[in-house]
Amino acid sequence: MTRLYGSGLFRFPSFCCIALLFMVVVGLAVLTSGCSRPIVRPQPLYPGGPGAYQPGPVAEHGLQAMQAGLNAIYFDYDKFTLSPEAQAAVQANAQVLKRVPHARIVAEGHCDERGTDEYNLALGERRARSVVTYLAELGIPMAQMSTVSYGSELPVDPGHNEAAWAKNRRVYLKVVQ
Amino acid sequence: MKPAPTDGSDACQEPHLTECIAVSLRYVLAGLVLVLVGVFCSTVEAKLLIDVEHPSVEPMKIVVPDFTCGPGGQVSGRELADILRNDLFLTGLFHVMETPPSAVDPTRGEPDFQTLSQTGAQALILGSVTFRGDEMTLEGRVYDVALRKMELGKRFSGKARDHRAMVHKFGDRILEALTGTPGCFSTRIAFVSATQEREIYVMDFDGHNLHRVTQTGSINLSPEWSPDGRSILFTSYQTGKPDLWFVDLPSRRQGIVSGRAGINASAKYSPDGQQIALSMNDQGIPKVFLITTEGNIIKRLTSGRGNDISPTWSPDRSTIAYVSDQAGTPQIYMIPVNGGQAKRLTFETNYSTDPDWSPRGDLLAFTARIEGRFQICTIRTDGTGFKVLTEKGSNQAPAWSPDGRMIAFSSRRDGTHRIYVMDVRGTVQAPVSPIPGKAPAWSSTSQ
Repeated sequence: MTRLYGSGLFRFPSFCCIALLFMVVVGLAVLTSGCSRPIVRPQPLYPGGPGAYQPGPVAEHGLQAMQAGLNAIYFDYDKFTLSPEAQAAVQANAQVLKRVPHARIVAEGHCDERGTDEYNLALGERRARSVVTYLAELGIPMAQMSTVSYGSELPVDPGHNEAAWAKNRRVYLKVVQ
Repeated sequence: MKPAPTDGSDACQEPHLTECIAVSLRYVLAGLVLVLVGVFCSTVEAKLLIDVEHPSVEPMKIVVPDFTCGPGGQVSGRELADILRNDLFLTGLFHVMETPPSAVDPTRGEPDFQTLSQTGAQALILGSVTFRGDEMTLEGRVYDVALRKMELGKRFSGKARDHRAMVHKFGDRILEALTGTPGCFSTRIAFVSATQEREIYVMDFDGHNLHRVTQTGSINLSPEWSPDGRSILFTSYQTGKPDLWFVDLPSRRQGIVSGRAGINASAKYSPDGQQIALSMNDQGIPKVFLITTEGNIIKRLTSGRGNDISPTWSPDRSTIAYVSDQAGTPQIYMIPVNGGQAKRLTFETNYSTDPDWSPRGDLLAFTARIEGRFQICTIRTDGTGFKVLTEKGSNQAPAWSPDGRMIAFSSRRDGTHRIYVMDVRGTVQAPVSPIPGKAPAWSSTSQ
């Protein structure tokens, strides 16, 4: 028997010590990293702290703060699929949205002027849907999200050049009561 | 008597235009037709056939002198003749000539056919007007110059303030006499203003009698006339999302027809007015649906992964053409209403949208992207005969006139969106909307 456990690291007493040490280290690491994550201890968005959603001016302030943290998601010409940049933008938005779990979210789809009006309405809807679908994959409940397409009716940049068009092919996320 | 001064919808009821046929044309062979087509024909049914099947048809040379006006009117004979000259010009079927000084013998009121035939004129159109109080009577005549014969004589009477409608009625009858099909000069066009607002407006086909129909302060899109001309369907963001609304023109009463999640857009009445085809979301993807006029879903017509929008009915209600990007780019497809496979119609460009089925059933007008700009095109329903009708600027949203001879569309060729009309060959293209506008819809009924 001693020959089986009698040499190197696998001698029984020292193996036990190392395993215990390992568990302590891992436990500490989990604890410290857990403390820094917003989901474990969310930053209060408005005075009164997190909890059930409170309508009113205070809540409005919180929504505004969150709204300011949301960024537009941009699309390639005549496309409604999410590019790697667009995916990263949706991921960043998802992190912000998770701070208020009960907020209702409207995804507004927009197109540039280089399409015909009615088809752009369908394209804008599909862009908004792409964003909503990915947000759902990232953990935002589908039931809290809706889509509105504006086609090319509301350009953010009225210019007629590539820079303007690129800005206009977008989905905005709006947080509503 | 008139219920709402701003309501252009039922101005049509008001004049109670009475027409009396002075000369029956039943057995008068349209000599003009023979001259124009240049063939000898011995049957009384011979009519000038003006459509795309006869691309070589030359415009008919006509003389339309200023109308003669009795005393007491607020409108001049020149203004009245201008209305008719413009109507006839816009069809692309006529060359309106300068009036020779001696076209009409002033002493006898009879045409000087000798002088007229020397100018090459084929037809002479005369109007004489008398006023009594606020009533007006228009007597219109059409002469065949070569045969020295009156082709048409009609009398119209009504309120003097409706003089434009009266002249348009005369024009409709002129086209009927010369082509066999009445004109569309008494119809109206609905459109969306392209100013800071997006409200629904209605105007006469020539751009006069502009009336605002909606005042919602929200975005409104894609107007569509009911077949009886009494109401308009449109997509409106009044609740913050694109719902399908109707507005009753006489009362201006509005309501939601379909307010489902996603889009409720690009609605088109079936030709019998019993159903509405439109684009709505099916599991998040815009698809063509059929709904009742109350908004209840009859069925989903299209399937697949593409975005499907802009349905248009064949006149016999058997087929719907629509736009789908299921093959990667937006193209026009056709699908039987009672079930069956969708069939792709357009292959000419990598962007074909906005189909509108012609009232005669043989053509689809649509928008195609050519060299980076949008142009109005036509194609036969079997996919042959692709034609590009516009070339200036960027153009979209074609809408057929109810007689199938003209197409309204929106163009940005002068820098701002405007409603234009053109003949089916694109030879005459003229802006008509007095304000910037887009998304025209042509009423199928006369006023």
